[in-house]
Amino acid sequence: MTDLIQTVGAGLLIGCVYGLLGLGIVIIFRASEAFNFAIGEFLVVGSFLFYLFFFDLHLPFLLALPLGLLAAGALGALIERLSIKPLLGRSPLSMTIITLGLASVLRSSVQLIFGAHSYSFFLDLPDISLESENLLFPSERVWAGLLSVVAFGFILFFLFRTRWGVAIRATSENQAKAMAFGIDARFILLLVWALSSMCIAMAGVMISNFGALSYLTGIAGLRAIPVVLIGGMDSIGGALIGGLIVGLCEALVGSYIEPWGLVGFKDVAPYLLLLIVLFIRPYGLFGTVKIERV
Amino acid sequence: MNRKSIIIGLMLSLALFLLSTPSSAKPIKVLAQFPMSGPVGSLPEFGWGFIDGMDYINGQGGVNGKPITYFLEDMRYSPTVEVANFTRYAAAENRDEFILASGYITGGLKPLIDKVNKEERIPWLDGSYSTEIFGPEGGPSKYPYYYSLGATYGDQFRVLLNWIKEDSKGKGKVAIVYSPTEWGRDPLAMARAHAQKIGLQIVAEEEYAYTATDATSQVTNVRKAKANYVFYHGYSGAAPYTAIFMKTAKQYLKKATILGTHYTTGRYPILIAGKAVDGMVGAGCRPQEDEMDNPMVKMAHEFAEKYKRKAGVKDMFLYMEGLTYALIFHEALSRADKAGELTREGVKKALDNMVWDYHGLFAGRGFSYKSHTVPTVRIYRGQVQKEVAKGGRKIGIGTWKPLSPWINTDVELK
Repeated sequence: MTDLIQTVGAGLLIGCVYGLLGLGIVIIFRASEAFNFAIGEFLVVGSFLFYLFFFDLHLPFLLALPLGLLAAGALGALIERLSIKPLLGRSPLSMTIITLGLASVLRSSVQLIFGAHSYSFFLDLPDISLESENLLFPSERVWAGLLSVVAFGFILFFLFRTRWGVAIRATSENQAKAMAFGIDARFILLLVWALSSMCIAMAGVMISNFGALSYLTGIAGLRAIPVVLIGGMDSIGGALIGGLIVGLCEALVGSYIEPWGLVGFKDVAPYLLLLIVLFIRPYGLFGTVKIERV
Repeated sequence: MNRKSIIIGLMLSLALFLLSTPSSAKPIKVLAQFPMSGPVGSLPEFGWGFIDGMDYINGQGGVNGKPITYFLEDMRYSPTVEVANFTRYAAAENRDEFILASGYITGGLKPLIDKVNKEERIPWLDGSYSTEIFGPEGGPSKYPYYYSLGATYGDQFRVLLNWIKEDSKGKGKVAIVYSPTEWGRDPLAMARAHAQKIGLQIVAEEEYAYTATDATSQVTNVRKAKANYVFYHGYSGAAPYTAIFMKTAKQYLKKATILGTHYTTGRYPILIAGKAVDGMVGAGCRPQEDEMDNPMVKMAHEFAEKYKRKAGVKDMFLYMEGLTYALIFHEALSRADKAGELTREGVKKALDNMVWDYHGLFAGRGFSYKSHTVPTVRIYRGQVQKEVAKGGRKIGIGTWKPLSPWINTDVELK
């Protein structure tokens, strides 16, 4: 039983981080129906921006984190202005394809500016490890889970309790109607990309703190794909639930199925689960069912 | 003398000059390949060490007065790139001139088996320590043109398993975490057999992928199996996944000793994983960068100073690795030339008969290339005192302390 609690706990903690990554995808998809394939690169760039404030400028964590996230948001907004805005009015597929190109540009830029080697990453946050005789949840995992949930809460508050949030939701519901009510949809798209970049950067900082930071850390961004497809591409709550499901799935498979000799199955399992979910609910567990008549 | 006779005289002189050019003046061409970019990160030190070594050698007169023309390629840690590079040079260059090559990855050796050993028959030095290629099932009789620059992974495991037996007084429970790659799986069979032979239990075997963002399930499985010695094998010490594993293992496996093979026993894991590397035990096929009493290490530092590389070198081991390739190339070519056979076959003979101490690399102990490996291993323990802020980063500060003398695996393990 202790073993199961350990596995489930570890899965839920990492699942919170995956949920935050998923949220970064979902809020862009809701506003523009585009999928951001450059999520891994946004994760790396955001983490490096935090790195500059925390490690290079030696700012305290409580100052470096918001500054790093704001910088990531500003960069996200800039990227939206340069590459996404010109495509407004075109098919969402065009925006999605642009993000594939963006991924290459960002990856190369990171290697050019920061090099391709690993950067040590020690946040040294206060030790809040949860430990008993047979259970252990290391401090950085607990911090990752906690901060991801807090960040998720901030985004929810922003979306549901502020005027800008209402405007974002209105634009997500129906862009034309929102514009008719005087909402500047172009600015909303910019805001959404900034918010998404901040979510992804936050997850990136937590993931980098598990090990080190390099352009290879961006691989973690791929975890967002099963998260949002399982939870539903346009469901904010679905992103969190999807993240927890993927985290749990990885942990349970890693602990109970891989030891039977199915090595490497942990990485495949979320995608198998995704297939099953899509067979039963093609729009994901919490996605809006859309019926298009042609 | 009229103009006609002057022209005839000049033409005759030119013809005589061309005819009298000695055959030994043919160019000596070699190919070196290192993983300077790609999934292991940016490691230009390999190339710098090789370039500086070659520059020094050619400055000193090359191979008995003849300069070496070298081709340096970044194989990007990719077997495909390594194979393509060699194929390109083999097709473009003259067999009599292109007489020595190197690679750095087991995945590249396998597809080149026939090309190198049967078609081209060119001596090939490699950074792979593959047990399958260089161990008892392979070796010179099967792959006569392949040479490794270290002891096989299987032998490194055997040395470490012997150490575990001694350290645990025969009660060690061993787990192996390995990469799902050819070189990750390479020593497993030999490790299992040797553990059984010396009475140690292997209680868990876990694959841990290069794409991992989390090592919790591997580490908790090892903990469940109650392993107190955990091998971490088949990885680069420079990559984020190593830091993830080390940091996670340090917390979940407080009482266990983590053990690494050659490529994780160096400065990089200390830099990126800090105190998590403290107490780790590793097998190294070269001395560590701070063993300044070692003549070769000292020489590498002097070279880096002389060629103004010090500021850019993150890990001196990598620079020394490039330099050792240049030096062994030179040694083999010089011996072949002295024997009057500066050809692929001549270089092979020189390597086969070589007994050398590698500029004192192994504290004066020489090695012979009979097994086509440099069969020397030393056991080290990582000592990391703290992590400090340096140059805008927080890095681990520590060293690797020798736990054993140099062990000749050809002699002392057989």
